[in-house]
Amino acid sequence: MKGAELVIQVLQQHGVDTIFGYPGGAIMPIYDALYQSNVKHYLCRHEQGGAFSAIGYARASGKVGVCMATSGPGATNIITSLADALLDSVPVVAITGQVSQAVMGSDAFQEVDVLGLSLAITKHSFMVRSVHELEATLHQAFAIAQSGRPGPVLIDIPKDVQLAEIDYRPSPFTKHSATAISTSLTNAAKARQLIAAAKKPMAYIGGGVHMAGAMAQLQQFLADNPMPSVTTLKGMGSVAKDNPHYLGMLGMHGTQAANFAVQQCDLLICLGARFDDRVTGNLQKFAPEAKVIHVDIDPAEINKVRFADAALLGDMQQILPAISSSTNCPNWLAHCAMLKQQHGWRYDHPGERIFAPLMLKQLSDRMPDNSVVCCDVGQHQMWVAQHMRFNNPRNHLSSGGLGTMGFGLPAAIGAKLARPQDTVIAVSGDGSFMMNVQELATIKRFRLPVKIVIIDNQRLGMVKQWQQLFFNERYSETDLSDNPDFVALASAFAIPGHSITRKDEVESALEAMFTWPGPYLLHVSIDEKDNVWPLVPPGAANEDMITEQKA
Amino acid sequence: MNHVLNITTNNTPAIVERLLQVTRYRGYELAGLELASHADASSLCITLTVRSDKPIQLLTNQLHKLYDIQQLELVSADLAMLRA
Repeated sequence: MKGAELVIQVLQQHGVDTIFGYPGGAIMPIYDALYQSNVKHYLCRHEQGGAFSAIGYARASGKVGVCMATSGPGATNIITSLADALLDSVPVVAITGQVSQAVMGSDAFQEVDVLGLSLAITKHSFMVRSVHELEATLHQAFAIAQSGRPGPVLIDIPKDVQLAEIDYRPSPFTKHSATAISTSLTNAAKARQLIAAAKKPMAYIGGGVHMAGAMAQLQQFLADNPMPSVTTLKGMGSVAKDNPHYLGMLGMHGTQAANFAVQQCDLLICLGARFDDRVTGNLQKFAPEAKVIHVDIDPAEINKVRFADAALLGDMQQILPAISSSTNCPNWLAHCAMLKQQHGWRYDHPGERIFAPLMLKQLSDRMPDNSVVCCDVGQHQMWVAQHMRFNNPRNHLSSGGLGTMGFGLPAAIGAKLARPQDTVIAVSGDGSFMMNVQELATIKRFRLPVKIVIIDNQRLGMVKQWQQLFFNERYSETDLSDNPDFVALASAFAIPGHSITRKDEVESALEAMFTWPGPYLLHVSIDEKDNVWPLVPPGAANEDMITEQKA
Repeated sequence: MNHVLNITTNNTPAIVERLLQVTRYRGYELAGLELASHADASSLCITLTVRSDKPIQLLTNQLHKLYDIQQLELVSADLAMLRA
């Protein structure tokens, strides 16, 4: 058989039944092998969209996402998505075609040094030089993508390798469980002492907990050691909805209760998070009274930006029970409950116009259980994080580390294909939506019942907000008041839609959207003056939040 | 301060670029690089000298994650000079 057929066979051995991609010259042999194979290929309309769909598929399901692109521009178009997967630790295998080895290095048509480009944006990458390396390389790619801290792996396959004949008999293959994780519990006793001695303990929960499959261990830990908890953007949904001590997201647009409490705590238990600058604000002033327990699977995160008094590396499922101690901090719990009550969200917004936080709360209350919400990037993304509640991080897909506009719509496509039984909602902004708008064609082609909510303030809202606050209201290139008619745009892709501008239209519009059996676009106009509050200004400590301010 | 790292890697395409890319990105200045391949050409022995005020562990922790690294040993700058 040909190398190209081997690729498809090995993918199938890994349980891959869904691929996102776009064909082109240098990957034609693999597309030829896909033709009439059992693997379902979803044609995206831009490789970046395809790779984001693979990310959405992976994040919603916990499986490896697979995408394909041709050489040159096809490969460069997936770079942004792979960077997104690297920063959010998403297991993705990307396969790119490359020009034949005979012409590699000659600036051939659609040739670019993909291996070179991949270095900074993948966990690992391969260039396959011989058809005899192909099988082992593919197995390695899946193992690396899933092992330890997950991430994207790229395999660049020259066309001659795809076309080369090989006598291939699939070896009996046990699905690579990622390399065994070595877990060190050396510091568990120290961590237990710190927890037992703490008067104001705080759990700071990131995406690493659910990715380790340790959601149950986390609930048990929080039940056995009652303490307040906060989450990062990626950790949202990790803490059970009925946990009374959960304070919400912390950081730049976190809740006031979360930020005040973290600043006051005397022990910060960081679980699968990395002290990102959007979380810490001014690092020197972050949680200044706190000792730190840091649990992670990536040794490079320990002491990277914040010293850990006790570090535990390895499998979160084993570590959480091992550091369980006993807490006794009724005054602290009462204080945090008071903070939460004192700084609760207010939805009593004046006037007829739609208030996005309230609309998103209504959406959150109204959406079916286990719905997946895929965000884009900007103000709407922060409003989603603040005002929607999730019972699992796999139900809230948001581009965290890279903050990539254009993520939401293609990620929703991937999520819908991963979990066809669940409702999938893309919440986007008028700026972000246009960045991968071509994927409406993918929704049309495969009749994917994705619900799209565009929150439209005719601005690049988050940039506008910063211009207003920190750049003397000089609104450089953030006016989008010449946006297209989004409902008409959707209708060009046979997607029905509806536009609303008033608060009293929200409930019936949501009802109509959820009742409609197919894809649907709800266009929500809001006042461009509405901003995201609270906000920790750049360089400030997290307790120095700016709250609502007149524009 | 100078730090000397003795590194053994698989001899795969781009491994040297990977080492240098991580070194640059993490904020360490390249001060020396020597490399030789093993007799069977399957491995490379690399001596990397870097300069930075940051703790060297921040770099070695990142380099350890590179898939093709077999061994990484930190030698102090002074020791390396004595050996030379």
